[in-house]
Amino acid sequence: MIRMLSGIETEYGLAIDGRGAEDQIEDAAALVRGFPDKRCFVGWDYFQESPRTDLRGFKKKKLSIDPVDAKFDSGRRPLASEEVRSDRILVNGARFYNDHGHPEYATPECWSLHELMLADKAGELVTVGVASAYEAQSGRRTRIYKNNLDGAGSSYGTHDSCLVPREVGFERLYQALTPLLATRWVLCGSGSVSPEDGRFLMSQRAGVFEDKASVDTLYRRPLFNTRDEPHADRSRWARLHVIAVDANLIGEATMRRVGLMRLAVRLAMADEAPEWELKDPCRAGQMVSSSVDQDINVDLKGRKTASAHQILESYLARAEEHLELSEEERWVIDSCRHLLEIRFSEFSEFARGVDWAAKLQILREFQEEEGIEWTHPMIASLNLAYHLIDDEEGLFPALVSLGRIEGEPDPSDVLSRIERPGELTRASARAAAVQRLSSDLLSASWGRVVLRSPSGPLSIELPPDIAYDERLFSVESTEEFADIVQECTR
Amino acid sequence: MIQADRTVRRQDPQPARKSGDEDGPQKPDITKPKSSNELMRRMKNVDPDQAKKYRQRSGQ
Repeated sequence: MIRMLSGIETEYGLAIDGRGAEDQIEDAAALVRGFPDKRCFVGWDYFQESPRTDLRGFKKKKLSIDPVDAKFDSGRRPLASEEVRSDRILVNGARFYNDHGHPEYATPECWSLHELMLADKAGELVTVGVASAYEAQSGRRTRIYKNNLDGAGSSYGTHDSCLVPREVGFERLYQALTPLLATRWVLCGSGSVSPEDGRFLMSQRAGVFEDKASVDTLYRRPLFNTRDEPHADRSRWARLHVIAVDANLIGEATMRRVGLMRLAVRLAMADEAPEWELKDPCRAGQMVSSSVDQDINVDLKGRKTASAHQILESYLARAEEHLELSEEERWVIDSCRHLLEIRFSEFSEFARGVDWAAKLQILREFQEEEGIEWTHPMIASLNLAYHLIDDEEGLFPALVSLGRIEGEPDPSDVLSRIERPGELTRASARAAAVQRLSSDLLSASWGRVVLRSPSGPLSIELPPDIAYDERLFSVESTEEFADIVQECTR
Repeated sequence: MIQADRTVRRQDPQPARKSGDEDGPQKPDITKPKSSNELMRRMKNVDPDQAKKYRQRSGQ
């Protein structure tokens, strides 16, 4: 079995009564700094961060920034980057910080899709828990949305990462991933009401991509992001950093989304990826996203076309033909194929596993019940309320309670992932360091921890491709921790 | 400890197991059936101006 280390970063939407986008960086920093679990560790180590380094072998001088956001900041005292980010490392090994005014939860790294889904769901609880603490302290109603778009067209990201052997290289990854990223909105989009013309779209993010490939993420975003920031030994590893992602509320949709990405990576590694050459990948993604009622054809190079379903099915078929599949990968293929087959014939069943369809269905129900036009402001507000992380007011929890969503996890399984990661990936070593050695922990990041020892600071690398040991959660000293990690690397 | 009360679905407390009760269900059924009126009630309670008021900074 191939172990593929993966993670999800989610920038949450933040709405605080009486505050606006111009206050958001300050507010999100205050919210993160008020993290209520005092066992968390403050001391993120930025040494492996290189957001301007491009997978194609160069470094961009400066990343593009959104000119609208720049206006928000004019006349304000610039804060130091670390002060703004306010990083916390949590007892489960996750990272929680302020990213451009959004509370961001980066899951502990996981091997299995199911664990990653649980880790992502745990992030929802953590983030809304921090918001509750902030609300109690500030007296201002604070809402958290797991979405990627506001009504004015500002977008913020959910990113999926996957560690890949460096020798796979940009070209193979780009060719293998791009057709998938342009079309998987059919299965993984979370739905939006277009800020431009009010149409319902499958995706929140498909409309924000303007470039085929680049290192940018804030402005003129690319469908294929080339950020080369492996958070591991650069000579051996690259990290695929996928920004063409909608945040999913449906847990199984999250698993399908990451599962499809990982199948495409494995096909790239085997040189067996489907060979679709889209004429304009960004445009293709937008066409797919806007084709709610039909399986749209997208343009290929050479005056040919292919439908979104054809392209998606080709990944499933290639994976079956060329890869030795794990049980989870088998599930990804079977469930994706099933959903594609029933999309038009059994829409209610399709909507049990696909966020955009679940949302569209309830918007249509409301429209019918209330007899309102699609252009009524309630439609856009309901579109937003689907993403509200609040068990009492959010629309998604009501759908789950009604049994209209397939396969949501047991809440106790999610809660347990707030306390500890579910697998012995390198996240478990980070978590153990935070839990057991907090008084000696000097800094931590994805790839290493630095601990105080009698002979001075001891930097301990956390290789990404090994299984760590349960005993780390009972260590008493830096030396013991270092010895166990050393044993794991043999 | 994180205050997660607001988002965790309300659950009935786990009933204490009695000796000789091993044939019973392994877990309580925590999903109370609710009528679709609950969904409609929540939808009707949404502030029609919420989307207009919801303005965010661009992120990544």
